[in-house]
Amino acid sequence: MVAYRAGKLADLRARVAGLEGSGRQGGRGLPFGDARIDGAFPQGGLPLGQWHEFTGEGMEGETCAAPAALASLMAAPLMASAEGGGEAVWILRRGDLFGPGLAGLGFPVDRLIQVCARNGAEVLAVAEDALTTAGVAVVLAEVEGLDLVAGRRLQLACEKHGATGFMIHRRPHGRSAGAGQKTGGSAAATRWRIAQAASEAGPGGLGLGPPRWRAHLERCRGGRTGAWLLEARNAYTCEDTHGAHALRLVAELGDQRLVPAAHLRLAG
Amino acid sequence: MPNWAINAWSRRHTCASPVEPFALIGASRGLRVVSAVNESAAALGLYPGQKATDAAALCPGLVTAEASPEADTAALEALADWCVRFSPSVAPDPPDGLFLDMTGAAHLWGGEVAMTADLRRRLALNGLDARTALADTAGAAWALARHGATPDLIVPPNEHEARLAPLPCAALRLPARAAGQIERLGLRRIGQLTDLPRAPLARRFGAETLVRLDQALGRSPEALTFRRPPTPWFARRALAEPVSAPDDLARITGDIARDLCQRLEAEGQGGQRFQLGFHRVDGQSRQVEVGLSRAARDPDRLTRLFLPRLDQVDPGFGVEIVTLGAWGVEPLAGKQVGLDSLLQPGRESRLDPLVDRLINRLGAGRVWKARAVESHVPERASAPGPALQACEAGTPAWDPELPRPLRLFHRPEPLESVLALTPDDPPRQFQWRNRLHRVRLAEGPERIGAEWWRSPIEAVRNDQIRDYYRVEDEAGLRLWVFRSGLYDPETPARWWVHGVFA
Repeated sequence: MVAYRAGKLADLRARVAGLEGSGRQGGRGLPFGDARIDGAFPQGGLPLGQWHEFTGEGMEGETCAAPAALASLMAAPLMASAEGGGEAVWILRRGDLFGPGLAGLGFPVDRLIQVCARNGAEVLAVAEDALTTAGVAVVLAEVEGLDLVAGRRLQLACEKHGATGFMIHRRPHGRSAGAGQKTGGSAAATRWRIAQAASEAGPGGLGLGPPRWRAHLERCRGGRTGAWLLEARNAYTCEDTHGAHALRLVAELGDQRLVPAAHLRLAG
Repeated sequence: MPNWAINAWSRRHTCASPVEPFALIGASRGLRVVSAVNESAAALGLYPGQKATDAAALCPGLVTAEASPEADTAALEALADWCVRFSPSVAPDPPDGLFLDMTGAAHLWGGEVAMTADLRRRLALNGLDARTALADTAGAAWALARHGATPDLIVPPNEHEARLAPLPCAALRLPARAAGQIERLGLRRIGQLTDLPRAPLARRFGAETLVRLDQALGRSPEALTFRRPPTPWFARRALAEPVSAPDDLARITGDIARDLCQRLEAEGQGGQRFQLGFHRVDGQSRQVEVGLSRAARDPDRLTRLFLPRLDQVDPGFGVEIVTLGAWGVEPLAGKQVGLDSLLQPGRESRLDPLVDRLINRLGAGRVWKARAVESHVPERASAPGPALQACEAGTPAWDPELPRPLRLFHRPEPLESVLALTPDDPPRQFQWRNRLHRVRLAEGPERIGAEWWRSPIEAVRNDQIRDYYRVEDEAGLRLWVFRSGLYDPETPARWWVHGVFA
């Protein structure tokens, strides 16, 4: 009886997954290379062929540097992956994305097409168009808000060729926090909230160390939520990391004064 | 067109049809002067250049109107666009002429005679008096159209010299001073000029006289400014019945794209810009242009780019001729279409349609790829480049070890209430965007000066120097701030934030 029920449940789970999860069995994931993060995702890594939502905290909602950096570092391995990879398309509302800064983080800027849209609707239209184009592996878009319909359309576009979308919420300059921060509901595979975190001082206590971010995984379809302190492994260096993921999970023995223990505990 | 100003005026004011003496009055050096007269006024002895008061005295019943040379020029350009139905290269020749390069186009109308007849008939239908001449050179055609014996001359090849000889020297488009001098010396005909030795001719009447003479005789080339660059890649479809329905326009667009693309394919060429022209029954034409980021000749793709723009085309009472021209034509290697290319197309060919769609929808300036530029001034270090061109080896690259912000502001934003130890220390605390930031870690300075070699040496000043610091506040916000100018104990230092690090 128990075995029968378990078999039935597994069958139903597979059918539900087939209905909601991009039609691919199980789906692909891009591992971060650290079991503490990868365990949160049912695919064993960042789900591919779906889209992800990034929001910033406080002033980051306006300048949108940290969410953009984290999204680009998660996207970079996809462009260089097997099957020839693909180009990235970044849809902006303001042309303030600075190529040298992006290159310094280790993002292949020479394979990035930048598009400046005129309004929010155009951002979504261009994102959908780019996601359905074969040869585009990654689409990053700076959006003001997303509703359920837009989210669902993006999901359908992602499924067409298996491209991965990164929707970065950005408040227009001068608008107060909280306004226009509609999230895409359940259509996104994951939702992240990103804040900048204090970096460790450079060698000899001088200067700044590699940039760090506090990343909260607020929602993850079929997985667990979590909060981690991440560091860019190869920011502003020429050194080769031999294929390791550009993001490194900072050990919990970090600076306890700056990072409260509650944030470091693996959620779930 | 001898009566261009009058004709253009009547076309602008269709309700008025002056049969009585009529003249256009314009201002010339502070005087009110007759600038154009119609036939009945000319019969009464009025002529262009006459004072307006004299003309009114001579002919009390004279009807006058204000001349407007700008509107005439615009009308001439519109007529040049209309003439594209005859030849793709049309050059307006202000104030009252048009050059049409008919090379290789006349056979479409069944010969030069039939073509000029058609042109004259259509112009007459539109109420335009025209004199036409077809000759080997633009200069000869100009002279024969204005001074020839009949209003529709067609000069057989290599006979223009003989035809020009009896014409007055004014037919040579000479500068006014030289023309007057030639007239005074009793040289009445072009034939007399050609008989003279060339060197004294140039010395006496100026080099331009000689150039004009050579241009008319075909001894020296003449560059005409065509309304659009001539292209041999040109397709034309004349319709038996004028059409105006959007579906019909879309179908014809597809047909004509296929015509042109077949020719391009046969010759192994591809075009980068395509212009579709709809010539309407009422003599106006509407143009739609699309650009491709890479030369191509796929008719379906071209049609798809044109279709969203067809709703901007106002067909009026109907479109009777559709033309399609290709510019930027360059050799395009033949590619196998189908089979394996469907499964594994090259990266470039997969992205081309997307980039074209985006460029035609948003504008060329809104789709780009950042290129490194050899400059240490941050705002110059990155420049937008074409979205679909791989970087060649040997182009400059950014130094990854120089930390640069992820977001660079177009204009640096000022920092307020800055606490800093001058001259060399980074700020300790400052206010930016209404928030107080205490600096926890800082790095710098990195001194970046203006590129003095770009401007004259006098313009180089010390206050264009910036000292950049990378600072991190207690919340982890990393900013790129700078102090402008050299340290000066007398004036308070000015601080700015130029970008946000990730």
